[in-house]
Amino acid sequence: MKLGLAFVFLGATLLAGTASAADKRWDGADDLPVNPLACSAGEANAAPAAKPYDGGQATNAPDKAGKPITLVDVPKLIGIGYFNATSKGMQEAAKALGNVTVKTDGPTEAKIDEQIKFIDNYITSGVDGILFAANDPVAIAPVLKKALSKGIHVVGYDANSTPDAREWFVNQAEFNGIAKSMIDSMAKEAGEDKSFAIVTSTFTTPNQARWTAEMWAYAQKCHPKLKWLETVEAQEDNNLSFNQATTLINKYGDKLAGLFGMTSVATPASAEAVTKAKLCGKVAVVGLATPNAMKPYVNADCVKSVVLWNPVDLGYAATYVMRAVVDGKLKSGATSVEAGKLGKLNVVNGSEVLLGSPFIFTKQNIKDFDF
Amino acid sequence: MTTVTLTGTEADPRRWLKAFASQEALLAIAVIGLAIAVGLYNPRFLAARNLSDVLLGNAYIAVAAVGMSMVIISGNIDISVGALIGVLATISGTLAVNGAPAVVAWSAALVAGVLVMALQGVIIAYLRIPAIVVTLGMLSILKGGLISVTGGKWITDLPDDFHLADVEIFGTLPFPVFLMILATILAALWMRYSASGRAIYAVGGNAEAARLCGISQPRTIVMVFALHGLFAGAAALLYATQLRVIQSTVPPNLELTIITASVVGGVSILGGVGTVVGSTLAAVLIAEIASALVFIDVSPYWIRAVQGVLILVTVIADILRRRRMAGA
Repeated sequence: MKLGLAFVFLGATLLAGTASAADKRWDGADDLPVNPLACSAGEANAAPAAKPYDGGQATNAPDKAGKPITLVDVPKLIGIGYFNATSKGMQEAAKALGNVTVKTDGPTEAKIDEQIKFIDNYITSGVDGILFAANDPVAIAPVLKKALSKGIHVVGYDANSTPDAREWFVNQAEFNGIAKSMIDSMAKEAGEDKSFAIVTSTFTTPNQARWTAEMWAYAQKCHPKLKWLETVEAQEDNNLSFNQATTLINKYGDKLAGLFGMTSVATPASAEAVTKAKLCGKVAVVGLATPNAMKPYVNADCVKSVVLWNPVDLGYAATYVMRAVVDGKLKSGATSVEAGKLGKLNVVNGSEVLLGSPFIFTKQNIKDFDF
Repeated sequence: MTTVTLTGTEADPRRWLKAFASQEALLAIAVIGLAIAVGLYNPRFLAARNLSDVLLGNAYIAVAAVGMSMVIISGNIDISVGALIGVLATISGTLAVNGAPAVVAWSAALVAGVLVMALQGVIIAYLRIPAIVVTLGMLSILKGGLISVTGGKWITDLPDDFHLADVEIFGTLPFPVFLMILATILAALWMRYSASGRAIYAVGGNAEAARLCGISQPRTIVMVFALHGLFAGAAALLYATQLRVIQSTVPPNLELTIITASVVGGVSILGGVGTVVGSTLAAVLIAEIASALVFIDVSPYWIRAVQGVLILVTVIADILRRRRMAGA
């Protein structure tokens, strides 16, 4: 009797969930405007609407153009592989430039109050510039503004602050860039006319919803035969992600040629599900993930492309951006900046420098990363 | 007088009906009925591979629900178990990546589980503090402690022999499913036929009567929590070894899913009533519903709502049954 009621309920949900339109956005995509990149690298991208410079300004900074400078890097926390990698990139850039000294120091836990104390101490002891990855975009703003007011240059990377609290921010990847890498990899690995499903956190998680919308837009434009089957939610839960990926594999059988993992949790869990189903090579797994979690699958040839950015390059670029700011080469209104071995990086969104195309971890390079 | 002879007769239709209407039987019917219904909509659901995956991926919930059922039957509750499973998984994984033999890493989770839960049992039983308060405190300690100690850093590079969940018994039966069945059967037999097992029901059903019968209430409660810790440790091992990554965080809402399995399995939230066979069947049913929702193209968000309906319906039925018995 009591369970009968539950079945009535289940039946009602069954009727509610089945309708779907052919050309609507994929489940889990947001409704914001999309800006898909060009299909091949040769074509020009549609220029995004230019936005005026909205960063801050260091007041009465001493002119150290071309002169040696001392920088401090305060990441979210120290001692983890990811920020060890950004720090390594900064040292590489300092060596290449020859006139920069950079030291990484920061809290051992990702705590904003600790991070503020570190920055405050370096303002007191005196440095020429501060590089940061914010634990909280709003809470970090006052101490960064204090640094600017003392003539210290401020450049962010990885995690932004409110724009007016720093001069520039090095953006590791834009949504449409990630989307292009994901869809191109899937089309290459699964096949142009094959079907795939998506494992995401929830339909409304902002970053995932943005990526999904841009992936939809780019697929419509450049890989129109690639067929989306469905998107399932798996929170940020390892075991739920695994169960959901397994259920998709069992539901679609041979029809399923690919799985997208939209979170660093969903991607390894999807790879595990494909491995356990003994479908490596038959179901492609493409997704956002960190290299350490993906090494077993990449080394076993079960996963070919892990999409992210290269944190070493990110730290490298942040240091070059800081040097260009001190030298007066990167100012309000600039459209690009030279960044050593990375070449010319574009200015986007008013006061951000875009690192470039996302980085794809493969069997050849994944062993070089530890985060 | 006549009633005594009647209920004692095997042929009595009412007795047969009563057995048929038990929570365990209803759940078994629901598990099979749902499988057939979804199978008609999408036959792929009934593929052996899918049914086995549903059990495999959720066996740890059933194992933890065995211990939770004992706790609830004894008249207590534990909301710290989800956090504890996260902590035990992390302890075990940390030992394994630092070179401890797999057996040591596994044992550590079991021992730590027993210790933490026995400690809570002692506080509840001897200091007479309500279980909900003690376990709420422990939930915060474990959750906060885990994130502080690990910084949320994932454990990767786990050695191959650590992956207990990959072991297959007799070459076909996945270890998690084997453990789920074994734990359920052993616990069910022990609770039904041993004096210490029966004491759990006595303490949860009528503490005063239990005391008069010579059952030590505090000792029974500590024993129940220690056993619950053992099952939580076993659940943590299945949870930790299923994937190649341990997240070092507390699995979201895991304690609620485990409590739901117990309650929907017919374990009375007021204590004294219920079986672990029921809670295991309920865990299977909940897992089956989650998978079924994907097969019939319904958002998995509905799983929470469906779980909620199952809980309310079961608890209301339990309360009504008690009132009827009290009134009779």
